Amino acid sequence: MTHRIVVDLQTGVTTQVEYTPEEQAVHDAAVAAQQAAELAAQPIEPTPEAQP
Amino acid sequence: MSSVAIQGNAAGAGVFTIASPNSASSYTATLPTATTTLVGTDATQTLTNKTIQGGAITSGTAVASTSGTSIDFTGIPSYVKRITVMFSGVSTNGTSVPILRLGISSGIEATGYLGSTSNIVTGSTPTSTNTTGLGLAQAIDAAAIYHGHIFITLLGSNLWVMSAVLSRSDTALTTVASSSKTLSGTLDRVRITTVNGTDTFDAGTINILYE
Repeated sequence: MTHRIVVDLQTGVTTQVEYTPEEQAVHDAAVAAQQAAELAAQPIEPTPEAQP
Repeated sequence: MSSVAIQGNAAGAGVFTIASPNSASSYTATLPTATTTLVGTDATQTLTNKTIQGGAITSGTAVASTSGTSIDFTGIPSYVKRITVMFSGVSTNGTSVPILRLGISSGIEATGYLGSTSNIVTGSTPTSTNTTGLGLAQAIDAAAIYHGHIFITLLGSNLWVMSAVLSRSDTALTTVASSSKTLSGTLDRVRITTVNGTDTFDAGTINILYE
């Protein structure tokens, strides 16, 4: 699970807060969208011409 | 009913007088419910067991920025008018620029920031505006390692003004940024994250001071 770090200045306690299922779903969707955008931005290799 | 006793000292010869100032109003001074010595304003005194709110600089807890998609500092007292965020060797695993956002008790606010961020490198200073937070870099790569300060000050009426000077140790590059943001309530938290919100911190230490 993805998490964030939270420092409570009143208590001095640092905690690792796991994403809720909803936050994780949003995170996973964002990562997938970024990967799709990176793929779309990659140059397309030219197709080798058919040999006679 | 409790009572008040005035007790002299048999070893002394001086006369101590309780005097009233010239005033038409009446006042009551309540004695402390402790065995103690009252102090006046005639000499420098050392305060003990007292908390000064404002005027004193309080350090938060340094946190290793080695995991997670964001680092939050919560519980910032309402009297605070200046916050300093300190970066030492901070890095993320991606190319999304780090960003600082302010928040109130109901959460972090990610809109309404007014300002720009510049990367100063040899021969150019690429600059970008950012409305979703104080941008802590104009652009980065995954190798970026940052050091420096971010200052956040209260101009008034929940209007906060921020500036950052950070530089990289992996290459010769300095970032200068500033922004202002009107919060919808009283600031009580600060978040350091990235624009895409999915890159994770993988090195460094972050702490804050508040006053």
